[in-house]
Amino acid sequence: MTGAGKKAAPPRAVITNIQGFSIHDGPGIRTVVFFKGCPLACRWCANPECLSPEPQIGFIETLCTDCGECSQICAEGAIRGGKGVHRIDYSRCTSCGDCVDGCGYGALVRYGESMTVPDVWDIVRRDKMFYDSSGGGVTVSGGEPLLRAGFVRELFELCRQERIDTCIETCGLAARDALVEVIPVTDHFLFDLKLIDPKLHKTYTGQSSGIILENAAFLMERGVDIVFRQPLVPAITDTVENMEATAAFLKGSGKKDVSLELMPYHRMGRGKYRALDMRYLMDGTEAAGNERAEAVKKAYIDLGVRCTISR
Amino acid sequence: MVEVNMQLLDRIDDLKLGERVLQWKKAVKEAGWKLFAEREKWTVQSWRETEGLDIQLRRALLFKKVVENVEIRIQDYDRIAGRLTPAVIGCMTSIDVCGDYIPGIWQDSDKLRITMDADVGMDPESIEILRAGARLFRGKTAPEMTYKAWEAADGGWIRDAEAAKLKDPTLDTGIFGQVTSVLMWKKILEKGLKGFIREAREHIDAFVANRESDIDRLYFWKSSIIACEAVIDHARRYAAAAREMAEKETWPERRAELLEMAAACGHVPENPARTFHEALQSMAIVGVCKNYEHPMHNNPQWGRGDQYLYPYFIRDIDEGTITLEKASDLLAELIGRWGTQTFVSSESSMESHQINFGINNAMIGGVNAAGEDGSNELSYLFLHVVGLLQLSSPTLGLRWNGKTPSWIMNKAIRTNMATKGGIPLFENDEVVIEHFLKDGIPIEEAAEWCGLGCVYPCLPSRAEHYGAEGIAACNLAAMLHLVLHNGADVNDKQTGLQTGDPREFKSFEDLYGALMRQHRFITHRIFWLASIARREQPKHMRLPFLSTVGVPSCMELGQDLLIPDPESCMFGISDRAIIDVADSLMALKKLVFDEKKLTMGELLEAIDGNFEGREGERIRRLCLAQPKFGNDIDEVDLLAKRIGEDSERIIRSYDNSPFRNYMIAREGLAWHYFGGLGVGALPNGRKAFEPLNDGSISPMRGVDRAGPTAVLRSALKAGFRESHASVLNQKFSASILGSRESIDKLAAYTNAFMANGGSHIQYNMVDTNELRDAKIHPENHRDLIVRIGGFSAYFTQLSADIQDDVINRSEHNL
Repeated sequence: MTGAGKKAAPPRAVITNIQGFSIHDGPGIRTVVFFKGCPLACRWCANPECLSPEPQIGFIETLCTDCGECSQICAEGAIRGGKGVHRIDYSRCTSCGDCVDGCGYGALVRYGESMTVPDVWDIVRRDKMFYDSSGGGVTVSGGEPLLRAGFVRELFELCRQERIDTCIETCGLAARDALVEVIPVTDHFLFDLKLIDPKLHKTYTGQSSGIILENAAFLMERGVDIVFRQPLVPAITDTVENMEATAAFLKGSGKKDVSLELMPYHRMGRGKYRALDMRYLMDGTEAAGNERAEAVKKAYIDLGVRCTISR
Repeated sequence: MVEVNMQLLDRIDDLKLGERVLQWKKAVKEAGWKLFAEREKWTVQSWRETEGLDIQLRRALLFKKVVENVEIRIQDYDRIAGRLTPAVIGCMTSIDVCGDYIPGIWQDSDKLRITMDADVGMDPESIEILRAGARLFRGKTAPEMTYKAWEAADGGWIRDAEAAKLKDPTLDTGIFGQVTSVLMWKKILEKGLKGFIREAREHIDAFVANRESDIDRLYFWKSSIIACEAVIDHARRYAAAAREMAEKETWPERRAELLEMAAACGHVPENPARTFHEALQSMAIVGVCKNYEHPMHNNPQWGRGDQYLYPYFIRDIDEGTITLEKASDLLAELIGRWGTQTFVSSESSMESHQINFGINNAMIGGVNAAGEDGSNELSYLFLHVVGLLQLSSPTLGLRWNGKTPSWIMNKAIRTNMATKGGIPLFENDEVVIEHFLKDGIPIEEAAEWCGLGCVYPCLPSRAEHYGAEGIAACNLAAMLHLVLHNGADVNDKQTGLQTGDPREFKSFEDLYGALMRQHRFITHRIFWLASIARREQPKHMRLPFLSTVGVPSCMELGQDLLIPDPESCMFGISDRAIIDVADSLMALKKLVFDEKKLTMGELLEAIDGNFEGREGERIRRLCLAQPKFGNDIDEVDLLAKRIGEDSERIIRSYDNSPFRNYMIAREGLAWHYFGGLGVGALPNGRKAFEPLNDGSISPMRGVDRAGPTAVLRSALKAGFRESHASVLNQKFSASILGSRESIDKLAAYTNAFMANGGSHIQYNMVDTNELRDAKIHPENHRDLIVRIGGFSAYFTQLSADIQDDVINRSEHNL
């Protein structure tokens, strides 16, 4: 994009959703900006539309009336017909979104839109009165926002100017430079610790835990405000081994008052897998119930870790 | 600022319902509703006996006859005397007030439909009493005589306008005669009824001494004395009954309760209340007698109950003369009783109001004239008790202002969750008071404002005429329907002004101008008819007791409150469906005038065909895809603002002299269902006769996709600052709003909205799945309360389409 002698184009990011009145992702009432693209591919991911860095079109079968309008609109011939068949032929689809605009029933949805910092800022700034009254602010999430650290930095600088609280929710797999870039403008980190064991981590997320743990240690060393989060996935993350390893890691940091927030596994993301014609690999796993969550929380507390459950 | 005892608040949090209240709750669940014809027996007898007397005295004597003879009952669990009927839930008819308004009494059936979903059994004797009442009173009551006056002046237009739902309510809804707001509880408690009797006597003495000639005034004061003495007598009957029961009672604890009740009823409401218990007892007797005078008079009972009762409550608690548990149970008893008081609705009332119990508003907190917030421990107890009782009534409101303390906000949100929705609602004290001040009301009066039915702000010191003359609302969506059909309504009658064939409109402004001309034509004509009603009604109806204890000016003037006094009357109207119209005009502007994707002819054809067929559906989808209010989109939000402001100008421009101009109060009830029956398909994509948007500033169902904060931003942008009430309903899933932290966040959310000028908000906290299940298995969800447009109702008692409506509202997942 950048040509010689020209100023660098403003950074863009593909955003899937900007969700106001979020109350579970940092202090107060927040707006969460979901970035598209993630270096991990966790088997239990509830936001599969945030995995690929490119815009995608999803198809919601239950809303489709089989009117055929979309197949007439699509210039690429990427719309298939027939009952019970996923409408979109992704080998042809260019994610142009014409079919989404043409569908009157909301059966075709656009996941991801390329936005500039001012685009995002124009939306998140609007809820300032709610941030002010609740001690809330803006949270970037995803996907992995640190893949767009420059974007996050610019966005958060604007937030800082308007005294809006900032928070990053990260999977932890990021370049050290990216972390260094955002630390000065970030008030809170929500940092995922899924599995400590590098092999298991690779098995379930596609990547080893090595860099993630190093980054976690680095952030603690730098003294940032950080809360660790662990998806509570039955029989995967709540094993005795993983809990003990997690506790040992957190305590080994030497940082006091480190806390762990359990994120009970749920299946609400399943529909999005269908919409994207992706396979959901967790069909055999039941959602983590309250009872299990309480038991795991107690186990962590017994291991000397401050632990809460996100609801 | 009230010095609040925080320890007392903690103790209140731990309170549970006492044994007597639980017994009552059980009885309510088990008891069927009963209809009592007895009141009508006494009205007929009295009316025959008093023929030839002045109407003021006749109505006073009719009232006396009823309260002195009607059967009274003290239930095993009652600690406060004063029930409308001997049944747990019983109701009475208002044939002497509304005429032959219950068609069911002429059918040969042993059942009678009394409200939306309730039939009661009727014995032949009772049916005969009601028929005798109908034969005697029909054709002569105030609403019926008003229709005759209207027809004399304006032919059948008003009937057509009503059929096209251009206005509500019809007079037989019983809102007629509801000219007042909250009783003068402070004065009743401090002076007792004997204080009122003394005043009336002094006026009579002065009248004679001064050789005054306006005999109507003398009749009024006499009617006051008759009414007050009758109420005192009514209390004494309870005292005697309680004593008699005590003598037979073997259980010492219960005997003590009955003796305490006997002592209280011997003292109040005749005398000033000395204790919290007596204060509640006084209110119970006065409240029930108010309903004997006019059973459909379902006005707010409590008003600012937390303020009037506070001195009694806190003194008794501080001095230890009452335990907190007992104070709580007594309050719960009266809240529960008033919350389950019902009446026989008219057909139109069932349709337009969707309620079963009398609307019964309590408004807690709020500032006094000096600007200090009055939230106190009793406000807190009100919230707690309402949370425990789980009733749909009272409509409990919190007067929010910049000084509202966080402990009451927090409790209010927790109560919201305990009741699974709607209670309490939040209204902006500052916005309401500012409106009254701007209208020339002194701060001492303005600071005392209460909610009337649901959110309509009223002043206890003035006679509120809202709805009393057969007009509470005008329907802007129905007016748009007229414009789109050159003045023809849904029934193909030429009810509206001929504003021209819409196909000939050259610009959006042509269309907009036509709508405003139509608005003026309809509302000013209705105002004219209302002014006729105002003169006609008092010839046929009076309310001596309500006049005496309801509004201060009546005693001063010697004038029944149905005879309007220009100095103290308030007038209001709710101009409804502004959001439906804004979304519709937006779609018309975009599709027909700006982008020219459709011609007016094509759009009208689709609308008239109710978007049927493939082409109709295509056009409907286009309509639905246009910018909608509630998503923080400037052009449509500001269009709503423009419509609101122009509507106000039209309403305020009506010369109502010698009375005050109409004030605007955009409240809603469940009117959107009723209002929708007068409106064909609309360019916002809504199909014909479907419900309109609920509330007054809530977005169209399911289109608010940008989240709850965007809805609030849209609402703030549209502003509706010209209205002193508006209704914004939001629904949150209770399963998500579970933690203590989220309570604080919802409180902060409310604070932000209000601090930026929001006027009203209320939250439903219900899981959609729960609602769906409640629709299929109502028996398992009888306790589910849902709030629609300013009041709450039991979900299972709503009609099926309203149920769907609630379910379909896009649930804001937090």
